[in-house]
Amino acid sequence: MDIYSQTAWLIPLFPLAAFLVLMALGRGYRRAGVFIGSVGSLAAFILSLIIVIDRLGANSVDYNYAFDWIVIGDYTLRIGFEVTNLTALMLTVVTLVSFLVNVYSAGYMKKDERITVYYGYVALFTFSMLGLVLSDNLLSLYIFWELVGVCSFLLIGFWFTLPKARAAAKKAFIVTRIGDAGLLLGILLLFWYMPDHALDFTRIQSVFAGHSGSIANGVTTLIALLIFAGAVGKSGQFPLHVWLPDAMEGPTPISALIHAATMVAAGVFLVARTYDIFLASAAAMETIAYIGGFTAIFAATIALAQNDIKRILAYSTVSQLGYMMMALGLGSLTGGIFHLFTHAFFKALLFLGAGSIIHAVHTQNIKEMGGLGSKMRLTAWTFGIGALALSGIPPLSGFWSKDLILTIALEQNPLLFAASLAAAFCTALYMSRLFFLVFTGKPTAAASKAKESPISMTVPLIVLAILAIVSGFVETPWNGWFGSWLSGEEEAAHGSSFAIIASILVGFLGIYTGWIWYGKESSRRSAVADKSPGLVKLLERGYFVDDLYAAVFVKPLKAMGDVLTFFDVHVIGGIVRIVGAAAISTGRTAARLQNGQVQTYSVTAVIGLVIIVAAIALRRFLS
Amino acid sequence: MYEGVSFIPITWTDMFYLAPEISLVAAFILLVVLDLLLPRRVTRLTIGWLTLVGLLVSLALVIWRMWDMNQGGVSAEAIGLLGNSYRIDDFGSLLKIVFLSGTVLIVLLALGSVRDDEAITDRAEYFYLLLPAVAGAMIMTSSANLVTLYIGLELLSLASYVLVGLKRKSFVSAEAAFKYVVIGGISSALVLFGMSYIYGVTGSVDLVVIRDALPAALTNFKALVYVGFFFMLAGFGIKIAAAPFHAWAPDVYQGAPTPVSAFLAVIAKGAALAVVFRILYATVFFSVNGQDAEVPKNIFYGLLVLGAIAMLVGTTAALRQRNVKRMLALSGVANAGYMLVPIGISITVVHSNNFSEFIYYLIAYLFMTIGAFAVVTVVCRASGHEELKGFSGMYYRAPWTAAAMVVFILSLAGLPISGGFFGKLFILLGAASAKAYWIVAIIVISSVISYYFYFGLTRQMFMRSGSDDSAISVSAPTAIVIWVCAAATLALGIFPGPLMGWIDAVFSVKEDLMLIIK
Repeated sequence: MDIYSQTAWLIPLFPLAAFLVLMALGRGYRRAGVFIGSVGSLAAFILSLIIVIDRLGANSVDYNYAFDWIVIGDYTLRIGFEVTNLTALMLTVVTLVSFLVNVYSAGYMKKDERITVYYGYVALFTFSMLGLVLSDNLLSLYIFWELVGVCSFLLIGFWFTLPKARAAAKKAFIVTRIGDAGLLLGILLLFWYMPDHALDFTRIQSVFAGHSGSIANGVTTLIALLIFAGAVGKSGQFPLHVWLPDAMEGPTPISALIHAATMVAAGVFLVARTYDIFLASAAAMETIAYIGGFTAIFAATIALAQNDIKRILAYSTVSQLGYMMMALGLGSLTGGIFHLFTHAFFKALLFLGAGSIIHAVHTQNIKEMGGLGSKMRLTAWTFGIGALALSGIPPLSGFWSKDLILTIALEQNPLLFAASLAAAFCTALYMSRLFFLVFTGKPTAAASKAKESPISMTVPLIVLAILAIVSGFVETPWNGWFGSWLSGEEEAAHGSSFAIIASILVGFLGIYTGWIWYGKESSRRSAVADKSPGLVKLLERGYFVDDLYAAVFVKPLKAMGDVLTFFDVHVIGGIVRIVGAAAISTGRTAARLQNGQVQTYSVTAVIGLVIIVAAIALRRFLS
Repeated sequence: MYEGVSFIPITWTDMFYLAPEISLVAAFILLVVLDLLLPRRVTRLTIGWLTLVGLLVSLALVIWRMWDMNQGGVSAEAIGLLGNSYRIDDFGSLLKIVFLSGTVLIVLLALGSVRDDEAITDRAEYFYLLLPAVAGAMIMTSSANLVTLYIGLELLSLASYVLVGLKRKSFVSAEAAFKYVVIGGISSALVLFGMSYIYGVTGSVDLVVIRDALPAALTNFKALVYVGFFFMLAGFGIKIAAAPFHAWAPDVYQGAPTPVSAFLAVIAKGAALAVVFRILYATVFFSVNGQDAEVPKNIFYGLLVLGAIAMLVGTTAALRQRNVKRMLALSGVANAGYMLVPIGISITVVHSNNFSEFIYYLIAYLFMTIGAFAVVTVVCRASGHEELKGFSGMYYRAPWTAAAMVVFILSLAGLPISGGFFGKLFILLGAASAKAYWIVAIIVISSVISYYFYFGLTRQMFMRSGSDDSAISVSAPTAIVIWVCAAATLALGIFPGPLMGWIDAVFSVKEDLMLIIK
């Protein structure tokens, strides 16, 4: 019955093949490049879809295939892949968004000179992400984890002639690296403490879920927090969120694919995959919940005052990822993954919509837009659907997943419930601000010439809009199907009418406030900024976190770097030069014996024999 | 050589077991006659292709023999022939497969590059002399008797002397051949001198008899045993080109036609290493107990010292080389050092897969070295010289060949994802588990030094632009060699498990290495 799951290893190979073909072709084949990239991701999507449909029935069994990769003495390193309902779901989401982004990019990147390279990178990213999802052990997951990081770096800096893009790529790489270092340490600790040094998820689950006590509580917490550090970096959680807004320097379809729907969700996926470690440590769970909750409200307030359309969406992503983390921290795997699932669609939709707008007006500043609603009807409608879904308006998908998280928060932690309710209000407010400023009002100079985007860009918008509407129905307060399917256990559908009413009220209140402040012609534009310029400034600069980091970490580190450079150049460099000189002078001596005279060669051989005999005599003498 | 047995006649069964070697010799004789009879206008490349056929037939026979002996999963008893002077066992068969495969690649390489070498006048000899040479190497790996072993060694050496000097119009080649003959003579002299001492104290040339007689001999003639073994080691050290017995190698490799250099670097070196392996493990180990147990320990220790010197001298001397073939010769010296390690750490309770470590590295070394030499033939033809700067701008002139060369360089430097990485890793782990930490340190140090000159080559290919930027064409047989080697190097670097597991499965330490016959 697992016939389809057994073929899951093929899925990453399609984009990999596409990547290799694209790299071999070179830059000449522009149209073929688009075609190959799209077909690669479409094939992967179809296979993923078949697998997930095959697994929809109850009691689908996890399929795991692994082989001994390296055997060293008693230690065997096994690698393989595993298909569970969680990974099958991720496969579908990743391949679907990847396929739509491939189609979309055909229009968006049409004029770019390096479009074939672009498609190659996207295919490589898709391969790495699928490999990450399918990995059955932490080691190969880590390898793919780094690989998606590299792809993210390459794609953020895709337009490397722009200094800002270069800086952003570097920043993304370095900031996530801090988290990755934590993850690596966590994996090493786990390797050290696990019985038989096993790193596969099945064994991790059996060791931690059984509370066998083979690993001490303190160590468990440490491992969990270190793994979480990796997730914090990748998923842009406070305090490592600073790279994600800057990453918007990359092409917009990339922001949709990597920095909204898939890679940034890898942190959530990682925590979900190693959930048993976290469940074994109450302290780690609490940390995740509070960091997630804080990030949700923190990023949502920053988004209120941004003027760059993509930066608003980026802070929104950070905030929504915070929701997912909080749900995981509060013990609800379903809540976190459900929100990941719906968020992937509506956030990709919003980013692609933003791309469509940018494509038309050639600016990212929402203050220079306006009145686009009549010019770009399709974009406006689909963007509106995405915005409503994100704001948590029923019956769109975002409502159901956010409501589930709010319900759990209400049950477990009133403080976090209040925070997430406030964040929901901010979400609705910044999205309505964005929507009204961009689509309503009088067209500006830039907006008056705007035209609707080509069909290759609008079709993905429509597909994603439909998914943003319907994807929430898999789990409602009356129907716990998704949770049961995901965990394999019967899960009671739990709904709280208070949470539902509160969340709907807050959503509408946010939109209404947005309408009052930004929608109505009379009070448009500068109303809020005039009343409290200090607050707006604070939010605009993202609570000055970047400036704080610059003052506290970057400058001292640079100073330390200067000291170390001096040390490196003069002390280490000196040692290296001495070693080098020693090696070269040895080489010179050897070369002197290499004078071309057979007599010398023979004498060398005899001397050598003497040396070896002397070495043995010396050894006997010493021992 | 047993008492009362003066002569054991060869039987049809023996001939049957000797089929791989006999087929090589028969092919050789046939080709010599054919060369004489064929009219001048027929291209001598035909002889090359026929040589290839001869090698493949022999390879098939060896594989069939090995498959036949390992049926049922249990390692079968070894077969002793000709009064136990010749053994068919998994040790020999594995090495024969390695040598024959290597020679197949080398013949292909010669076929691909012979057109460019005007200095080679006798093209038929160029191919068919490889047959007795590899037959000699095969006899060396299979012999259980010092005399048989010596005959194999001389067969290999004499054919190689001629092969080195085949570029008759080239002064460098003639000089190389002369040096090789003289040094080779010294090597034979040292080996024979050592053997005569061993014969003197044990009264036999049969390895099994020597092993049984050695404990008694040690009590009376300890010094003479040392002299015997060390002189043999020095003699083989010259063939292995392990420093300080390596000085001939750069000169000879430089002068010889490039495929012949590859043959010396892989097959001649591998055969001599195999012989050291066999002699030491068959005779000195485990047979000695008590007070004299330090003797085998010291001999193994001497081997490790030899390996350490080879690694350090090979890598440091290569730093200053500007000629690629000389550089590869010195890299071969360092590699000989690595391969001496699994032999030298000897067998302990916790560590006994020395042979699989050795042969894994030998296989990886075969592919990366022959591959690198193949790329050298391509570059030499394009640039007309063998200097390092011939590689400059190669990435722009022949991107795929440059990519293959990167694979070989990674492997030679011992970096992932290549066969050389796992080969070195297995040797390193073996040495560590045998607690020989000082040799581990030396392996690491010499590897680090070697990065400098290996990556100097990469730098030339990718970061320097050459004076010429026309595309380099690669002849079909050479391309086959390069791609087979690159693919095998990568395969060994990604999936080391299957090969290593298979070697461990078919190989038995007691029967194959120590010649213990049930």
